[in-house]
Amino acid sequence: MADQLLHIEDLHVTVEGREILKGVDLTVDKGQIHAIMGPNGSGKSTLAYVLTGRPGYEVTGGKVIYRGTDILRLAPDERAKEGIFLAFQYPTEVPGVSVVNFLRTAYNAVHPENQKSAMQFRMYLQEKIDLLEIPSELVDRYVNQGFSGGEKKRNEILQMAVLQPELAIMDETDSGLDIDALKHVSAGVNKLATDEVGIVLITHYQRLLNYIRPTEVHVLIAGKVAKSGGFELAEQLEAEGYAGIAKELGLSEEELAEVEGSEVSV
Amino acid sequence: MTQTLTSDAVETLSADLGEPGWLAERRLQAFDLFEKLELPDPKGEEWRYTDVRRFDFSGFDAPVPTQSAPEVTADLADKGVIIADYQTAANDHPDLLKEHFFTDVPTDEHKFTALHGAFLSDGIIVYVPGGIEIAVPYEVFRDLAGGGSTFPHTTIVVGDNAKVTFVDRFRSESHERPSLCASVVEVTAGRGATVNYISLQEWGRNVHHFQTQRFTGHRDSTVRSLAVQLGSKFARAQVESVLTGEGSFSEMLGLYFADSDQHFAQRTLQSHAVPNTTSDLLYKGALKEVSRSEYSGLIKVAKGAQGTDAYQANRNIVLSEKAVARSIPQLEIEANEVRCTHGATVSPVEEEHIFYLMSRGIDRVTAQKLVVFGFFGDVLDRIRVPELREELARAIAKKVEGGQSLEVAS
Ligand SMILES: Nc1ncnc2c1ncn2[C@@H]1O[C@H](COP(=O)(O)OP(=O)(O)O)[C@@H](O)[C@H]1O
Ligand SMILES: [Mg+2]
Repeated sequence: MADQLLHIEDLHVTVEGREILKGVDLTVDKGQIHAIMGPNGSGKSTLAYVLTGRPGYEVTGGKVIYRGTDILRLAPDERAKEGIFLAFQYPTEVPGVSVVNFLRTAYNAVHPENQKSAMQFRMYLQEKIDLLEIPSELVDRYVNQGFSGGEKKRNEILQMAVLQPELAIMDETDSGLDIDALKHVSAGVNKLATDEVGIVLITHYQRLLNYIRPTEVHVLIAGKVAKSGGFELAEQLEAEGYAGIAKELGLSEEELAEVEGSEVSV
Repeated sequence: MTQTLTSDAVETLSADLGEPGWLAERRLQAFDLFEKLELPDPKGEEWRYTDVRRFDFSGFDAPVPTQSAPEVTADLADKGVIIADYQTAANDHPDLLKEHFFTDVPTDEHKFTALHGAFLSDGIIVYVPGGIEIAVPYEVFRDLAGGGSTFPHTTIVVGDNAKVTFVDRFRSESHERPSLCASVVEVTAGRGATVNYISLQEWGRNVHHFQTQRFTGHRDSTVRSLAVQLGSKFARAQVESVLTGEGSFSEMLGLYFADSDQHFAQRTLQSHAVPNTTSDLLYKGALKEVSRSEYSGLIKVAKGAQGTDAYQANRNIVLSEKAVARSIPQLEIEANEVRCTHGATVSPVEEEHIFYLMSRGIDRVTAQKLVVFGFFGDVLDRIRVPELREELARAIAKKVEGGQSLEVAS
C-alpha cells in the first residue's frame, strides 16, 4: 500500500456526450511499468487526458486516487505539481515560446523549494540533454515548432527528465518513430524509470515493449480493461491481434465491431 | 478660472507664451478651421472603421504648456544640433519653425489637426545637421491632467547621412475627468539618413488620444517607427510613411494591448512614390476583456514606382470572447513590377496551448503570459532600444495579469 501511486476504480468518462471510458480499473505502484494496449479508439488517450485534467473530459463515475488523495478536482497545473506527467501522443506546438524558457518556468513551478536561476537551469538542462543524448539546439527553438515527429517525442522525454515526475503516462511515445528514434526514446525512458517512478506506457503496437519491458500489461477494449497479465499477454496480442483477444473474452457484437473496424496489424 | 477650448483661450495661450504675431495669427486661423470643419466622416477610407462623429470637445480645459525639450550636449550643439521647444524655437529659430512645422501634416487635414494647430502646447523640434550620428536616444515625457488637454507636436529633421533616435512618451495617471490629447509628429529623413521614432502611449484611463505621425524618406534613407498603445480610453494613431526618394526604406512596427473597455484604432499608410523603395510593416495587438481594436492599412504604389517591395502584416491575439479585433488591409497599386504582400489574422489564445503548458505545472495566468510573449516576440525582438524591450515585456506581463490600476488619482 505504501508504494501505491495511482488507483483508478470504475472510472467512467464522457466526451461530448458520448461515454468513452466505461468502468476502468487500474492500480500502479512505484517502480512498476504498466503497458496499456488497445485498438485505435478504445479510449487510451482519453484515459491519459482525464488523468492530467484536460478540459472537456467529464468524469461521470468512479474515482482516481493518486498518492492517497482524489485528484479529479485539481487543475492540470496542480496535478503536475503533485508529480503527474503526460508525454503527449501529439505534442502541441507553442509559437514564440522557447523550450528552455518554457521548461524553466515549469521546473520552478513544480519545484518551488529548489528554484533555479536562468544560468543554473541551463546547467541542469544540459545534464538532462547529455543523459538523453538529445541535440542541444532543440531547447533554443520554439516549443515543438518545426520539430520532426522524432524530435517532438524526444522533447517530451526531455521534459519528463527535467520535471522528474513520480507518475509518467506516455501516450504512444513510440508511434511515428523509425527504429533508431524508437531506440533513442526507449533508452531515455529506461534511464528515467527508477524505483521511485510509476510508468503507464500506452501503445498500440507491441514493438515498443521489446525496448521497454513492462511489469504488467493491460488490454483496453471499448473503454474497459478487458484483460490484464504479464509480458506474455503482449506476446499473445502480437500473435492473435485484438480480435483474437476479443473473441476469447466473448465481447458483445458492438464491442467487437469497434475492434474489428480498427487496425489490428502489429 | 481655467478656460475651455475657445478662441479666447487660444489668445490667452499665445499671449502667455509671448509668441510673435505670425504665430498667434496662425493659431487663430487654425481655430477658425476647427470651427468650420466637421468631424471626420466614416464614409471616407481613413476613418471608415472608427466613427468619431459624436466626439464632444466642450468639456476639456485649455492646455497648460510645459517645456520638456531634452538637453543637447555642448559638443553636439557646437556641431549644429538643435533640440528646442516650440517657444524657444519661435524666438531663436523662426526659419526652422516656418519651414518644418505643419508642412507634412497641415492643420487643415481634419478637425483634430486644426485644433492641434490652434492649441499646440508642447512642441519640440529636433534638427540634426548632415553627417551627425547621435547614438543615445532622446526621450520626451508628455503629461496630462484630469479634465485637461494637451497638443504635443514633434518635428524631427535629419540631414543627409545623419542619425537619431527619439522616444516620445505619453504617460499620465488615471483621472476621473476625461482628458484630450491631439498630437502631431512630422519626421523628415534626408539622403542616407536614419531616424528611429518611437511613440509610447501609456496615458491614464480616461484619455482620448488622437495622433497623426507622418514620415518622409528621401533617397537611401531609413525610417523606423514603433507605435505602442497601452493606455487611454480611446486612442487613434494614424502612422504614414511616405517614401519619396529611391532606395529609401521604412520599417513600421506597432504593438498594442487593450484591456477592459479600451478602444484602439490604427490607420497606416505605406506610400511608395518613386521606384525601388521598400516598406516592412508589422502591427501586433492583444485584446482582453471587452476591448476593441481596428487596424486598417493601405499600401499605395504610385504610377511608375517600379521595384517597390512592400510588406504588411497585422496580427491580433484575443484573450476573451468579448474582445473584438478588426483588421482591414488595402492595396492601391499603379505600377506593375512590384512585390506587395499583406496578411491579417485575428486568433484566440489556443486552449490547446494553455493546456499543454499547464500540464507541465504552469498556472493559467503564467501560461497565458508565455503565449502572449511568444506572440509579441518578433516585434519585441525588432526593437532596437534594449531597455525599452524589457520595459514593454513588463508592461505586457502586467496587462496579462490584470489588476491594472483603474484607481483614480485625485
Ligand atoms: N476531444 C474529443 N472530442 C471528441 N471525441 C473524442 C475526443 N477525444 C476522444 N474522442 C473519441 O473517443 C474515442 C476514444 O478516443 P481515444 O481515447 O483517443 O482513443 P485511443 O487513444 O485509444 O486511440 C474515439 O471514438 C474518439 O473519437
Ligand atoms: Mg490515442
